[in-house]
Amino acid sequence: MPKDKFFKVIENKIHPNEKLVSTHCCYCGMQCGMNLRVDTTTNKIIGVEPRYDFPVNLGKMCPKGVTAYQQVNHPDRIQRPLIRTDASLKGTAEGFREASWEEALDLIISKFKELQHNYGKDTLSVYSGVSMTNEKCYLTGKFARVALQTRYIDYNGRFCMSSAAAGLNRSLGIDRGSTIPWTDIHQTDCLFLAGSNAAECHPTSMFRIWEVQNRGGYLIVADPRETPLARRADIHLDLRPGTDLALANGIVHLLIKNGHIDEDFIRNHTNGFEETKEVVATFTPEYVSEITGVSVEKIVRAADIFGRAPDAIVMFCRGVEQQAKGTDNVSAYTNMSLVTGKIGRPKSGVATLTGQGNGQGGREHGQKADQLPGYRKLDNPEHVREIACAWGIPAEEMPQKGVSAYEMFQLMKDKTIRSLYLLCSNPVVSAPNLNHVRESLKSLDFMVCCDFYLSESAEYADVVLPVTTWAEDDGTTTNLEGRIIRHRQAQDWFEESKPDWWIQVEIAKRMGRGQFFAHLKSPQDIFNEIRQVSKGGIADYYGVTYEKIDQNNGVFWPCREEGDEGQPHLFLDKKFYHPDGKAKICALPYRPPAEEPDEEYPLRLTTGRVVFHYLSGNQTRRIPFLTDMYPDPLLEVHPKTATLYGIEHDELVTLKTRRGEAQYRVKVIEAIREDTVFVPYHWGKAESINLLTNPALDPYSKMPEFKACAAKIIKHKHGGVRHG
Amino acid sequence: MGKQVLYIEMDNCIGCRSCLAACTQCGGHDNRNRNYVLDVDPFISRQTIPLMCFHCVNPACARSCPAQAIQIADNGAVLSALVEKCIGCQNCTIACPYGIPKFDEEQNLMYKCDLCYDRTKEGIPPMCASVCPTNTLQWIEEAELEEKRAQIPLANGKWTASHDPDVLEGETNVKISLPGILQGKQKLF
Repeated sequence: MPKDKFFKVIENKIHPNEKLVSTHCCYCGMQCGMNLRVDTTTNKIIGVEPRYDFPVNLGKMCPKGVTAYQQVNHPDRIQRPLIRTDASLKGTAEGFREASWEEALDLIISKFKELQHNYGKDTLSVYSGVSMTNEKCYLTGKFARVALQTRYIDYNGRFCMSSAAAGLNRSLGIDRGSTIPWTDIHQTDCLFLAGSNAAECHPTSMFRIWEVQNRGGYLIVADPRETPLARRADIHLDLRPGTDLALANGIVHLLIKNGHIDEDFIRNHTNGFEETKEVVATFTPEYVSEITGVSVEKIVRAADIFGRAPDAIVMFCRGVEQQAKGTDNVSAYTNMSLVTGKIGRPKSGVATLTGQGNGQGGREHGQKADQLPGYRKLDNPEHVREIACAWGIPAEEMPQKGVSAYEMFQLMKDKTIRSLYLLCSNPVVSAPNLNHVRESLKSLDFMVCCDFYLSESAEYADVVLPVTTWAEDDGTTTNLEGRIIRHRQAQDWFEESKPDWWIQVEIAKRMGRGQFFAHLKSPQDIFNEIRQVSKGGIADYYGVTYEKIDQNNGVFWPCREEGDEGQPHLFLDKKFYHPDGKAKICALPYRPPAEEPDEEYPLRLTTGRVVFHYLSGNQTRRIPFLTDMYPDPLLEVHPKTATLYGIEHDELVTLKTRRGEAQYRVKVIEAIREDTVFVPYHWGKAESINLLTNPALDPYSKMPEFKACAAKIIKHKHGGVRHG
Repeated sequence: MGKQVLYIEMDNCIGCRSCLAACTQCGGHDNRNRNYVLDVDPFISRQTIPLMCFHCVNPACARSCPAQAIQIADNGAVLSALVEKCIGCQNCTIACPYGIPKFDEEQNLMYKCDLCYDRTKEGIPPMCASVCPTNTLQWIEEAELEEKRAQIPLANGKWTASHDPDVLEGETNVKISLPGILQGKQKLF
């Protein structure tokens, strides 16, 4: 499509006192292109227009994208810093007073210094998120380690992308969520999507996904629910939650047995085939069917289609990754591409659908407990030296590696951590086992929260700092393809809010560490530092500049030199990123979910999204159109299960697990397994499904098992059917 | 550029209501959508279908209007009631077999989809089709519609519902392929 096909026409049509600012959506990893309408007399964002030149979405937007601009000047925005006056009201929106930036920052600095003086540097912690720009993600890692000098930093990507990262690193030696650009998807012959409700979580992928079928290609979907995506699949593998590993092993078993493997590719470009062959040998369709509940016929047919497809893409998402064996699931599905050699060429490969806006970039720049920028590792002395040198600190001053997100809450409980600096995340809704997490936050001596709304987590803070939204600042994000793109400032900072990077530089200065941050006066300054610091790392951004991003509508990393155009396709030279250049086919024995149904808790609970809300719902639950469409969480139950429990559609019931309980209205629908129930996770307080979810962690990625645990339904004595 | 039409591929719909959200963003729509999405059988499946104005060639809404307040534009778009002519009788809302025209009590005025006439007259897709992430709603040239029709020949020769003159309001400017259109699709391998 020619660039800006309709831009001029639309620009001419809009009001004389308006301008259009080309930017991207703030929500999921698709990072769809959009134009914001800005009133030039008030300098306020007032609307949205499609943007047709961005190749990923070609003007298409989901309902969240269309209404995203409404969060910018929303009446719920925090206008100036808030200081808690009544500690007994922690966990509620009450007990705050407004304060000046000066007063708030003074309080933060004095508390941080006092706590560090009394309990050591590591008593502070930073918990961040990846719905913010690369610049902010990078600076947050540096802020924790250089300004606060603490080892305890981690981020909400632990609940989102860590298993994908760990699995792809193990299999391919690199964690770029997609080995192909999204513009390849509709051209392939067979799409295999596992644990992805793409229609609701990444809707703007759907026109490409349907196009595969329109061209006569196949769509295979593995999901416990008949999602809008699975509804139209050629084969719907309706597996029990938490049994993906068996399914993937079973398909690899059949690919080998039926001779659908690429022996040359396996011999020349992979390791581990023989061990894997041995492990999957026992995964006959009958055995896999017994574990997963999927019929033998469907498993055999899926493997046959995938094996015969000239080109095929394997895609997976949180359904597979948010398990206590998520890393193994990712590697097991990647095995399908590796044994068939359907990777390292256009129209074939693996891709994970990133949940958060900058889920990709945010995990590259050192926000993780064990990671430094450019995917360098804290337990590698050479990597530590490189980054310490770039930051201008002695290597021995670099803090040790910390612990993962959920483990940080445990350290708060036992007072190892006494203070939290929380930004861009709402763990009081998004973490598992919330009763425990809420208690942990209450036990803190001092908590700072940076947000633009008073989120459920901000209600636990002692100081709340108002920050800018995505549309009030410049910066880059890296979308689910690995494409680095530009977000543009469309209006001035709202009231007295400030960008996160400004606040961190200011705190660093006041903590006496200003010399390491003073040169960072704009997002572009920070981006230029990312370029320098990531040079030579796996996620190499050195060759990426703001100008190049503008010219090319995004640049794919790795991009190592200024003349380098970036790499939309990975492994075209069949070189993987392990030291010997080979990919690893992983031998992975099956293990069941951490908690299986039993007599007391006979159902399987799985969680996920609905199309109208994003993550913890802190942003989307405030947008009238979205809340009108889906106001409260619903418990999806199969009609036969509903009959078994004597419950009706729209009845209020209690759902209970070993961690907690909550009440939900029942939605009776055949499009779910009889042994499984589903609740979306976008709601806070008593409606949070994460009160019930299992914090069992994946041993490699430390990702909790959100997607499978044992549960029961308790019918209320007097029913509770809503009338009228 | 040849004549463009709104074409609906029902089977693609995922129920995201993006078309509704986008409709509220169109100029002068006062945050009210003029299109709808229906759950086909919510107790059974997640199948949804969009319900848009079909912009009938001989529309019942306009035929039934005693004040001639409903104009038909040169591209076939059946427009919202003219403010100066509409008498608020609501004949049009009763006459339309699809339930499209809605009535604004405060303004005493009918409002409905006008196919984003101010956009479509300049070649820009209507808001709903612009944003539709699934290609359920497409703004295509008639030549492309012919190509689609040729790809999927049906025995009765009636590919799109809107070409059967006996159906409800007869011929419409919006074209529809009904669910199941891919059933006869030849697979690649």
